[in-house]
Amino acid sequence: MNQWEGIPRDWLEEFEAAARRPLELRMRYAFLRTYKPVLDDASFRAFETTADYRRWCEENLPSWLGYGSV
Amino acid sequence: MAMAAFEYRQAEAVRNAFARRGVRYLFLGKSGAILLGFPDTTQDADLFVQRSRENGRALVAALRELGFDLTDNQAAEIEQGKDFVQLKNGPFDLDLIFAPDGIERFEEAWERRLEVEGFPVCHIDDIIASKAATNRVKDREALPRLRAFREYWRLKQESQASE
Repeated sequence: MNQWEGIPRDWLEEFEAAARRPLELRMRYAFLRTYKPVLDDASFRAFETTADYRRWCEENLPSWLGYGSV
Repeated sequence: MAMAAFEYRQAEAVRNAFARRGVRYLFLGKSGAILLGFPDTTQDADLFVQRSRENGRALVAALRELGFDLTDNQAAEIEQGKDFVQLKNGPFDLDLIFAPDGIERFEEAWERRLEVEGFPVCHIDDIIASKAATNRVKDREALPRLRAFREYWRLKQESQASE
């Protein structure tokens, strides 16, 4: 029995490839920087509760950023 | 505002500054999963920080050492341990999370933590639990692949343990 059978083949190949890379390289591939409207427009935000933060995201961020609730 | 991507050397700088100050924290979210080997992309480094006055003070000192330009009011909010703090006033962006969805207590996550090259990382189960609990569109989309990675990671761990 193939121990990986529950994992889609293309994902498995990506996991295997990543496992062969040193952490520094994995991080170089993983962390990107693009401007996110509204979210990136303030240098500091603090929210009393996580619920406040979620609500702020819902009410202020463009939906296509994906920060809204399902 | 920082516009450069988070890099390994910056993660090292965080690790070293936080260690010098004795800050208790864990990498969480996709940044934590990436440290564990998950191949995906993200923009932010998410840190789950233990909420205590002492840890908050150490955290502020470490952040200032790293080059974050914190006003006294902002420093006070971090020391106080507000649930969610977003920093874009330093050499890179950081999200400080004192109360993540899906994880009850820092101490429990700390007990389950993993270490990757000296980086303290939440267990993959906690990363998934947190993502699942947020119920956000972007997290829901990431979950199937993240769960597949957990299975891969678990089997790899078992395989390495039996060698």
